[in-house]
Amino acid sequence: MRKDRIGKLVQILSRNTLYAPVERDGVTTFEKVEKVEDIKFDYQNSDVPPKNVLFPQTETTFKYTLGKDQKIEVPKENGKNIILGIRPCDARSFSILDKVFEKDFLDIYYSEKRENTTLIGLSCNEPGINCFCTSLDGGVGNKEGLDMLLTALEDEYFVEVATDKGKAIIENSPDLFSDASDEHAKKKDEINKRAESLMKRRISVEGIEEKLDKIFDDDLWNEVSMKCIGCSVCTYLCPTCHCFDIQDEATLREGRRIRVWDSCSNPEYTLQASGYNPRPARINRVRNRIYHKYEYYPKNFKVIACVGCGRCIDKCSVNMDIVEVLSRVKEI
Amino acid sequence: MADLAKMRNEIKKIVQRDDVKYVIGYEKGTYGWRVSPSFARTPEEVDKFIFSPLCVNNLAVYLVLEEKLPLPKGVEEEKKKIGIVVTGCDSRSVVQLLQEKAISRDDVVILGVPCSGVVEPKKMKEMFGKEIGTVAIEDKGEKYVIVIDGKRREVLKEELVSENCKTCEYQNPVISDILIGDEIKEKKKESYSKVRELEEKSTQERWDYWKEKFERCIRCYACRNCCPVCNCKECMAEKTTPVWIRRSVSLSENAGFHIMRSLHTAGRCIGCGSCERVCPMNIPLSKLYKKVEKDVIELFDYRAGLDEEEKPLLSVYSVDDSNEYIL
Repeated sequence: MRKDRIGKLVQILSRNTLYAPVERDGVTTFEKVEKVEDIKFDYQNSDVPPKNVLFPQTETTFKYTLGKDQKIEVPKENGKNIILGIRPCDARSFSILDKVFEKDFLDIYYSEKRENTTLIGLSCNEPGINCFCTSLDGGVGNKEGLDMLLTALEDEYFVEVATDKGKAIIENSPDLFSDASDEHAKKKDEINKRAESLMKRRISVEGIEEKLDKIFDDDLWNEVSMKCIGCSVCTYLCPTCHCFDIQDEATLREGRRIRVWDSCSNPEYTLQASGYNPRPARINRVRNRIYHKYEYYPKNFKVIACVGCGRCIDKCSVNMDIVEVLSRVKEI
Repeated sequence: MADLAKMRNEIKKIVQRDDVKYVIGYEKGTYGWRVSPSFARTPEEVDKFIFSPLCVNNLAVYLVLEEKLPLPKGVEEEKKKIGIVVTGCDSRSVVQLLQEKAISRDDVVILGVPCSGVVEPKKMKEMFGKEIGTVAIEDKGEKYVIVIDGKRREVLKEELVSENCKTCEYQNPVISDILIGDEIKEKKKESYSKVRELEEKSTQERWDYWKEKFERCIRCYACRNCCPVCNCKECMAEKTTPVWIRRSVSLSENAGFHIMRSLHTAGRCIGCGSCERVCPMNIPLSKLYKKVEKDVIELFDYRAGLDEEEKPLLSVYSVDDSNEYIL
C-alpha cells in the first residue's frame, strides 16, 4: 500500500472504533482517533501499551439498582475495534494474555473485546534501546497475535495478512492495496534483519524456569529488591501484566462492580482480611513478579509472560532492569 | 562537583564501622545515562559508588522504606545506623523526617555533598535516549561536557538541567556528619514564576489545565512512593473503611488523589521534584506542589526541612496564624 494512501485507510477504518498512537505532553498512548492527523506514526513504541483497549484499567462488570425497579445490567460490547500501529511485541502479548483469560472459563469482558478487535501491526524499523523481543520468541516482523502487519518501506507499506480479519480489511478497500513484488518482499526482509541487528539487549532464557526453581532463597533477591520503591509503573505499563482487583462502588440505591488493574508490587496485593500478609516485604514482591513471568506462567501455559518490550526498564525510576536480573540469575 | 575518590574513602570508613548496616549512594545504571541507587555493605561495594549530575534520585526515601518485619522469638532487632549520600534538597528531606520523628538522629550517618544541579532524565532521554553505552557527564558551570563511547559533546546546562534546580535555594546540605566538596557560594532565588503564571488564570482556566493532566494519570503511585515524606503505613488513597478515593481510575478520583496528596505534604514537601520526575505520564506535578509551598510561606512564613528541632508546621498552632481562610 502506498504511504500516501494511509489517510484514506484511516478514514475507512474509523468507521469502526479506531485506536492508534496519539501523543500528549510527550507521552504516547493508544487512543480513539478519527483523523489521520491525530496519529503519531514516528514513534518507537507507545508509553502505555494498548492492553487497555481489551483490558481497560477500570471496567464496569455490572451495574445495579435496588428497590422496586430492581435490576442488574451487564454492559454490552458492541461495535468493532481496530488497533492500528500496534507493535509486534504488544500484539504477541495478547496471544499470551488469551491463555489466562480463557483458562477454566471464558472471561467475557476480555474475550468479547478480543473477538471484536482487529490488530493492524506496524513493524519496527528501529528497535528501542531496551527492546529484547528477539530473546523471547518475538521479532520485529513477528505476526503472532496480529491480523495484519505493515512494514514501512521507502514510499510504501509492505502489507502482510495473517488472519481472516486482516483479509477483510483488504476486501473492504481493494483499491488501496496492490500486489507486492519479490523486490518488495526482499526489501522488507532486509529492513527487518537490520532492525533486529540493532537490538543491543539480548538474554538467553533457555533453562530459566529450571534455574529459578532452584534459587528461590538466594540472596540475589535481597540485593535486587532493595532499591524498588514499590510503585506500579512496571506492572501497569507491561503489556502482559494482567492482575486485577474487583471493587464495588455503591450508594444506597445503586452501584456498580468494577474490575481495576492491580499490581503485585503493592503491599496490600496479598494482604488478607486477617491482617496477615504472605508477601510482607519488597523482596517477596519483586521476586514474585519475576517468578510469575518467567516460572509460574510458563509452568501453567508453556510460554514466558514477557514480550521484551522494555517498558519496565525504560520507565522504572530506580533502574530496576529485568534483563540484568535475568543475566545474574543465569550466573548463579 | 565532588571529589569521587575522597567520597569513596569517607564512605568506606563509614561502612566499616561496627554500628553501620550499610550506606546508600549511587552507582552506574544498567544502560546509557541511567544511574541506580546503590546499597554498600562492604568497602568493595563502595567502589561502585559514583557521583555526577546524573544522580537524580532522592535517596532519603529508602530511610523510611525498609520494612521492619516481625522477628523470631529471641532475636533482637539489629539497631544499626544507615549511611546516606545527600545533596542539598535531599538533606532537607532527611531533616523533615527527623522533625517528624520518622527516623531519629542516631539512625543515620549523613554524607552531604553540595550540589550544582542534576539533569532532567526526560530531557536526557530525548537527547541521548539512543545511546546504550555509558554516558559520563561533567558539570562545567555554564555547560555540561558529555562523553559517550569516547565521543565528546557539550550541551548548555540550562537545556539539560532539571527545572527545579534552576531556582534551588538550598544547594548546600543543611545537615551532615561529613561534608564532601566545596560549599557552593552562588545563591539562587525561587520566584515561583510558573506558579504565578497559573495563579493569574481564572479558576475555570486553571481547572481546565489540571483536568487535562489528571485525566492522564494512571494511579501508579510512583509520585507517592518516591516521596520521602509520603510514608504512612496506610495511605489515604488505599483506605477502604471509609473510602476516601475510589479505586476506579477517572478524573474525579485522580484529581482527588493529587489534591489530597499535595495537602497532606503541605509544609513537609521540600521541593526535590522527584514526583514530577518519576511520573510516566508527564504530569507537571511540581507546579501543584510549588503552589502549596508558596502558600505555606505566605501564610505561615515556614519552610520545611531546615531545622530538625523545629516542630512540624501543621502539628502546632499559634494565635498569630493566618485565619483568613476561616469564615
